[in-house]
Amino acid sequence: MKFKVPIFSVKNLSFIVRGQKILSNISLEIFNSEYVAIIGPNGGGKTTLIRMLLGLEEPTSGEIKLYGKNIKDFKFWDKIGYVPQRASHVDASFPATVQDIVNMGRTSKRGFFSRMNEKDKEAVHDSMVKMGVLHLKDKMVGTLSGGQRQRVMIARALASKPEILILDEPNTGVDILSQKNFYALLAKLNKEERITIVFITHDIGVIADDIGRLFTVNQKAIICNNPKEALSCEEMSELYGIEAHLIHNHKHEH
Amino acid sequence: MLEMFEYDFMQRAFLAGIIIAVLASISGTFVVLRRYSMISETLAHSALVGVAVGLVAGLNPLWMAVVFAIFSAWLIEYLRSYFSLYSDAVLAVLLSGSLATAVIIVSLGGAFNNSLFSYLFGSILSVSNEDLITILIFGTISMVLLLAFSKELYFIAYDEEVAQTSGIKVKLVNFLLVTVVAIIIALSIRVVGSLLIGALMVIPTIAALQYKVGFLYTVLLALAFALVSVACGMTLSFYFSLPSGATIVLCVLVLFILSLIRNKK
Repeated sequence: MKFKVPIFSVKNLSFIVRGQKILSNISLEIFNSEYVAIIGPNGGGKTTLIRMLLGLEEPTSGEIKLYGKNIKDFKFWDKIGYVPQRASHVDASFPATVQDIVNMGRTSKRGFFSRMNEKDKEAVHDSMVKMGVLHLKDKMVGTLSGGQRQRVMIARALASKPEILILDEPNTGVDILSQKNFYALLAKLNKEERITIVFITHDIGVIADDIGRLFTVNQKAIICNNPKEALSCEEMSELYGIEAHLIHNHKHEH
Repeated sequence: MLEMFEYDFMQRAFLAGIIIAVLASISGTFVVLRRYSMISETLAHSALVGVAVGLVAGLNPLWMAVVFAIFSAWLIEYLRSYFSLYSDAVLAVLLSGSLATAVIIVSLGGAFNNSLFSYLFGSILSVSNEDLITILIFGTISMVLLLAFSKELYFIAYDEEVAQTSGIKVKLVNFLLVTVVAIIIALSIRVVGSLLIGALMVIPTIAALQYKVGFLYTVLLALAFALVSVACGMTLSFYFSLPSGATIVLCVLVLFILSLIRNKK
């Protein structure tokens, strides 16, 4: 009998800052090629959870394993692509072309003094093609629109050929059309490239058809295996602490 | 104009100046992009403590400047992680503390003279053969380290956390950057002076950023501005008997203003 090995395995994770409980006793697993969305109110601990999965914060208690290894002993960080919340807010004066930014995705794969080899160039080219930003490669990143920057940041993350893509509300400040295209791209990466996607979002109604599982995080984590039906208005109200109404997404009803 | 090169001291000063222009502008690009600009001022003042100890104790002031600047850089990195919210205050405390210490040491040792003045504002007359060898040795080490870690430094300057999650040892690279910057600053005080070296690190990059070009061209522009400023500044210093550090900094300031005007929308 063959068992699935989780990419992320989190057991009894808690995080307390100055006596305030941010996360309490969270246990979850994320498997290969999954598309997982994380939702929850602001301040509910979503970003903290992601930062712990990435080794940026240490939990107060509990255990995080990556590919079966304790996170402290994990060395293959190039398997993980991370796009943070502020991704589309680039300092306009930062001296970087789109190519410069996407090249960064190969940094940890290159040795000291080494120039980009053919493999590096190919990976950078491929990721720019995938994200539709190749024609922008010589443009300064500070001159791009929010949606274009967002795609550049994902191209950078893809350049390292990751197995997992972790995105923390990368849509902040991006127009609605770009957001829609962006969700379609994520679904494509998951289905065609088999990239595991972990995605913090508030737009659960829009991506409910694409995602496999939904984690709601507000101090504690609740895992929903059927995101299309799992969240009732009552549950949403409880999660966000306000009265919630479901707005139906009619895109598949025609 | 070439007559100034008939003098040995000018040949040494020019060679030292060119090495320093290359090192200060390249390291300065990372310093500015990391928003570490104030660190160069603080380290320059810490280097002055080394100079003061060297002058009073009869040791090589330049070597002592390197030692004290490196020690200060490490202390800054430690304190910045300890007082993360007040890292600018840490720099201010060390800056004024270092200057006060240097002045007291020199006063007690009775060495408050022209020699110290040349370390404060730079002097083309003061670069000895021994200084030139020190600048060459440490300059080469610094350059090799900067080139070896340039792509990591650039990534960290862009986004420290994303760089860390991609497997880059951010703390180690930051530590390395401040060490290299400390060495370069200590080497520069002979030519530019401790009160003005911060300007030679920061202004060429700020001027280059006005052209809004990619990273490589920004570094090359900063390098060109630093080289032109050092060459012009030293020439003016020779012909008008002015402190070299001040003339170099005024030249780079002119280039910055011209860049600002040319690129103003």
